[in-house]
Amino acid sequence: MKILVVEDEKGLAESITDYLSREGFICEVANTFWQADEKISLYQYDCTIVDLTLPDGNGFDIIQTLKKIAAATGIIIISARNTLEDKLKGLEIGSDDYMTKPFHLSELNARVKSLIRRRNFGGNNDMTWKDIRVNLPSRKVFIQDIETTLSKKEYDLLLYFLSNIDVALTKESIAEHLWGDNMDSADSLDMVYSHIKNLRRKIVEKGGKDYIQSIYGIGYKFTAP
Amino acid sequence: MKLLEKASRIYLLASLLIYAAVGIAFFWIIKFMIYDEVESRLMVEKQDFEAYVRSNDTWSNNSYFVENKIEVVPVFGRFDNKVAFTDTLISNRYDETADPFRQLTFYTLIGGSPYRVAIRKSMIESYKLIEAISAAMIAFLGLLLVSTFLFHRVLSGKLWKPFYDSLAKIKDFDWTKNKPLETVRSEITEFNELGDVMEKMASKMQHDYRSLREFTENASHEIQTPLALINARVEQFIQSKDLGENHTYWIEEIYHAARRMSRLNQGLLLLAKIENQQFTEQENLDLSELALNKLKDFEDILQHKEIRVTLQSAGRLRKVMSPALADILLTNLINNAIRHNYTGGELRLESGVDFVQVSNTGNPLKSEPERLFERFKKESTGAESLGLGLAIVKEICDNCELRISYRYEEPVHSIRITV
Repeated sequence: MKILVVEDEKGLAESITDYLSREGFICEVANTFWQADEKISLYQYDCTIVDLTLPDGNGFDIIQTLKKIAAATGIIIISARNTLEDKLKGLEIGSDDYMTKPFHLSELNARVKSLIRRRNFGGNNDMTWKDIRVNLPSRKVFIQDIETTLSKKEYDLLLYFLSNIDVALTKESIAEHLWGDNMDSADSLDMVYSHIKNLRRKIVEKGGKDYIQSIYGIGYKFTAP
Repeated sequence: MKLLEKASRIYLLASLLIYAAVGIAFFWIIKFMIYDEVESRLMVEKQDFEAYVRSNDTWSNNSYFVENKIEVVPVFGRFDNKVAFTDTLISNRYDETADPFRQLTFYTLIGGSPYRVAIRKSMIESYKLIEAISAAMIAFLGLLLVSTFLFHRVLSGKLWKPFYDSLAKIKDFDWTKNKPLETVRSEITEFNELGDVMEKMASKMQHDYRSLREFTENASHEIQTPLALINARVEQFIQSKDLGENHTYWIEEIYHAARRMSRLNQGLLLLAKIENQQFTEQENLDLSELALNKLKDFEDILQHKEIRVTLQSAGRLRKVMSPALADILLTNLINNAIRHNYTGGELRLESGVDFVQVSNTGNPLKSEPERLFERFKKESTGAESLGLGLAIVKEICDNCELRISYRYEEPVHSIRITV
């Protein structure tokens, strides 16, 4: 899976590529509009992450060019601009997702994976890890082939974990993933805790292992014990 | 009061005064001239009378005059030999009216004895003349007044038309749009100059607005990007396996502070954007319905905090405003009502045709209620609260012509939004 990261802030571009490379993606970086323009005309990518504000051009133009030459490429916009008009315009010209800076790398990772899954399988596939299997179209979860009923939030949480195996996730990123960023109260962290507790209980009940590991002060990690 | 109306009124008042003064002066002049004429004729008659008496040395009252013109009365005792003009009324011989006369009285000797002689002239004709002239003059002056007034009105209306047209254009002018202001050109230099100045000002306003807007956006970008970098670096850092408890504590603090700063930045930028009226899209919204839907987004947290929700609807509040602002407004209100609620508390959403009210149970305010909507006024010292939520709510209300009020009836805090 090849990913192009178009971002002028070198540090941020490096963080994104490091993080995504750990997840097994092959990443390339373009720091300027012209680099990006050249790369998309020469190579093919499964997914492109585009910053809208570039020193020598506008990210929207890259997306439009990309849509002309390689319509199958998934596009995620990352931008500091969080106006509704920008978001709508982004979706209008064919991007698949819009993330506002600052974002969580784990969230970006989850969205890239979900986007590639949708592109490649039309969403019609299973996600399997160890003894957990999730049938995405029907939203059914099987632990050791036994169906488990999860609440909507627990299902979202499990999917988020499955997209970020072996990765330390902060409580904040989980809360934001589940409820969006307008739920910024301390209560949402308590709620994360109680949802994690329930999910852990449900997995263990059906004979799964306790995959959710707490990291003191930071959050959680989904990993093989 | 409109300029035209004011000018007309002043004009009308001034002309009335001037015309009245002219009328009165005219009246007195005519009167004076007629008296002068009558008196000189009386003097001539006096001379005639004296000449007659001198040659005949007698006077008989039998010389019959229609108007009883000359009256000769003997005088006894002392008299003041003086010639005087007086106004007098003499009853008419045929009908019962008293007619005005001008009378010349003097004393003379007839046949050696003193007599007082009064010669009179009827003023009926003269008075009729004065009346006729006065009436004609009032009529003409009135006509003149009305016609010049109307002329003035029509003329000013025509002259000022380009001004009013330009005024209407200025009123319609919206500096948030790109359309330049175009005032109406006319033959009048002053109006054209005014138009030029207004057009210059308008384009400056549009330019400033655009640069301010760009600045806010750029500032947001410039600040959010390094924050995104801090976030990303922290996330990478926490992946390392050998973090001590101390390290995770510091990392947690850095991470938290960066996120807080980012939210603060977003909040302040939002306030600036509302102040600059950058939310120009308008839609007719049902705020009651929107609030109800918003409440559903908060279902999880309401359940978590065991907050009971009561709904009361006596109608729907409809308002034409920006959908984005309406969303932020209601989110902040409900968020506020949940954050300052206690576990097991209550949240009430009431709506009517002219209001939406969110009430919540909570501890009494520590600061004055008037300062509740100020920026960075925090009730709880909780690090999660930015102290911007209600300031944003207030700013939106001010911008959308909504009134906001706060009430506390132990233990319920209510924030009410009224059209």
